[in-house]
Amino acid sequence: MDNPVLRRELMERLRSTKTIASLLAVAVVTSALVLLRWPSNATVDLVSQGAMEVYQPLAWGIAMAIVMLVPAFPATSIVRERQRGTLAMLLHSPLGRLSIWSGKFFGNLTLMIVLIAGSIPAMAACYSMGGASLFQQILPLYVVFLMMAVLYTSVGLWVSSYQTSADASLRWTYAAVIGLAALSMAPNIVLAGKNNWKTRVAEKLSYVSPIPALSQLTSSNDISLQAIRGKATSQFLLSAGGLSLILTLLTLRRLHPSLLDVSRSAGKVTEQRSSAMQWFRRFTFLVDPDRRKSGIPPLINPVMVKEFRTRKFGRLHWLLRLVAACAVISLGLTVVAASGTVSWGVERIAAVMVLLQLALLLLLGPSLASGLVAGEIESGGWQLLRATPLSATKILSGKLMSVIWTMLLILMATLPGYIVMIYIQPAMTVQVQKVLISLAISALLVVTVTACISSFAKKTAVATATSYGILFTLFAGTLLVWLARGKPFGKQFVENALILNPAAAALAEMRMPGMEDLNLTPIAWWIGLGMSFVAMVILSVRTWRLTCPD
Amino acid sequence: MPQAGNEAVVKTELLTKKYGEFVALDQLSIEVKRGQILGFIGPNGAGKTTTIKILVGLSKPTSGVAQIAGVDCATGGKQIKRLVGYMPDKFGSYDNMRVREYLDFFGAAYGIPRAKRKSRIDEVLEIAQATYMQDRFVESLSHGMQQRVGIARIMLHDPEVLILDEPANGLDPQARIEMRTMLLRLAAQGKTLIVTSHILPELSRICDTVAIVTGGKLRAFGSLDEVMRDLCPRRSYEIQLLSSNDVGRAESVLKDWCLPDETLESSAAESLLRFPTQRSEAELAEGLRLLIQAGVPVVQYREVASDLEDAFLRVAKEHSSVA
Repeated sequence: MDNPVLRRELMERLRSTKTIASLLAVAVVTSALVLLRWPSNATVDLVSQGAMEVYQPLAWGIAMAIVMLVPAFPATSIVRERQRGTLAMLLHSPLGRLSIWSGKFFGNLTLMIVLIAGSIPAMAACYSMGGASLFQQILPLYVVFLMMAVLYTSVGLWVSSYQTSADASLRWTYAAVIGLAALSMAPNIVLAGKNNWKTRVAEKLSYVSPIPALSQLTSSNDISLQAIRGKATSQFLLSAGGLSLILTLLTLRRLHPSLLDVSRSAGKVTEQRSSAMQWFRRFTFLVDPDRRKSGIPPLINPVMVKEFRTRKFGRLHWLLRLVAACAVISLGLTVVAASGTVSWGVERIAAVMVLLQLALLLLLGPSLASGLVAGEIESGGWQLLRATPLSATKILSGKLMSVIWTMLLILMATLPGYIVMIYIQPAMTVQVQKVLISLAISALLVVTVTACISSFAKKTAVATATSYGILFTLFAGTLLVWLARGKPFGKQFVENALILNPAAAALAEMRMPGMEDLNLTPIAWWIGLGMSFVAMVILSVRTWRLTCPD
Repeated sequence: MPQAGNEAVVKTELLTKKYGEFVALDQLSIEVKRGQILGFIGPNGAGKTTTIKILVGLSKPTSGVAQIAGVDCATGGKQIKRLVGYMPDKFGSYDNMRVREYLDFFGAAYGIPRAKRKSRIDEVLEIAQATYMQDRFVESLSHGMQQRVGIARIMLHDPEVLILDEPANGLDPQARIEMRTMLLRLAAQGKTLIVTSHILPELSRICDTVAIVTGGKLRAFGSLDEVMRDLCPRRSYEIQLLSSNDVGRAESVLKDWCLPDETLESSAAESLLRFPTQRSEAELAEGLRLLIQAGVPVVQYREVASDLEDAFLRVAKEHSSVA
């Protein structure tokens, strides 16, 4: 504890009520899982079915909590110091860059160890019920958790050292963590069953994800993971350790006074560049962000235009690239399925498309909508907006529409893929329609819930982190309950959990393996629309109150 | 263009604002005429921002009336927003937005038609002498530059009254002089200005009317001369001696000459004596004669001009002693 940065980081975190709430949440949820399957009769469970039914969802639940909680603090750590001006003081102090980094790294890691330790009583209960091996399963599982915390903390600090705003840092960190945890598996799943160099590279890449290791340690039966999980735990520890080390070195390199030695942007517009450069930019950007803008057209909500113009990510040239990428990926997936390159059915490809789209909606939605109100309050812009004759309705509609148009573009981008799918299998027309409705409702839910949270927060970073937490719990948490179907959750419980998740309705409609017998539409739609409506009402009232005279 | 006159453009009567038990503003009554610059002075938490927020329609008074050009600030809503240009102490910047785009957005928000907006932006950039920064990103501007853009922004819809909360805060001396010139130019154009500032010498150079508030109450209000006369009726005199060793001697010479209410203050470090007085020039000459007669080497015997800072300190002192 000689490191003053570590002492300050720990003090700041441990004094926070959010930390205590997180600790309590971990303890309560894990204890509840144990209570669900604690033997209540005198029958001897010879195969330790009950223990495994708790152990498996518990392990996956903790892993999900780590993915959700660990990046939040380090992602804003360095960037906040930079914004407050305290990074210059730290870099000017006799503390070396290693001390600054280690203070922040171990501060976060210690806190995460305390959080993970909250699950030990529940895990001990699993062990005492019999079934889960201490040395072959439980201890290696905790080592995997620790390595996940190390890796995601390193990712957060690294991203934070490059960003200039806390919310952008959070957004990129979560994108990187989801990429490492889930998307790194995709090439291996697609190329499974072949034996060439591409498969070997894809296999190596998949070891960056903790999923194969967790699958090995919880003895899951997912066929797609069977090929790689034999040595998964040791491979994950090696890959994650190596990657953490590289990211640490990169972060240490960034922690230098040159980090702050950045000149103010000269604000050169395209019109001031050479004609060759102007043509090049027109070709590469399509919609050049540095072109001098003409005035906001009449009949267009000025707030909406302002929202589009003030985004770094989410401006038209970025959206066009994103939409193009979505269209190409969805078409590619459909063509691959149609040409029989992989042995998957159209349903499985559709499920992958839905999952990819959901990941995009979940990642982009909160990052675009979390600053709608909180960002204005934080920058002082809200005061200026209140002083204009714009009504609360116009402000709110302009802000919401700027996000809804973006979300619609993302949804529309996969339409070519779905059209090809319908062309291959015309019987899927109704299914595809239902999937699109489900995804549209999911997008609406993401936008309204995030905007509602934003109207209560004073800082965008807080709104972003809270929105990611709530939406991940709603969308990924309910899918986690589905993963634990029959062990310990019954079919009814799983269905009840999944109707809260309109994206699950899309997956069920596509007859994703394991979801064939679930019938979630239209109830999941009504619930999704109902939640969106409630969030919208709260948001409207809150916005109206914020625009009213004090 | 509106001309300076006797008509009160900004008027408050017994304006009171309470937050629960806390009285932020207590029966404030002021009037500002067209083309005047009102300097609104007070320590932190005095009620300046509360008054401003009521005037711009962002806060409702608990009781009393606030009017701008005859429109009630509490009920006037959109009318008030068109009559007033408000520059808060926080700039309110947006990321990735250039100065021209920033002004275009606020122009559109005030409903200025697109055809007129372009030329209006050119005009206000010219007034604020900010044309050269029109392509710069607002968040990358220096504080002084941002204040200029702020002035351009509040001029966009050509309001009658401009309210500026701490416009000189954080500006370097050069930027302060430029800001002062700009505000005087706006007043000359017939705009009515209400300006708050902690930098009182700055205010005294531009304001024709002054309001001093402490603890939510109006302590002094009127033209700068009136306020100075009311608050600083006594002149302050300083005697600069040759060395600090002379201070004690000079004190003993003047001790009997000074009247009971003329408290003699000495500063050995500065070789200085100071006393407040209401005596005539002839009576004061007698004091100098006594010192010279006693052989005290006097370097300077001078009147120290009172300024707004003295007036403010006097009010603040009185208020704190009452409190």
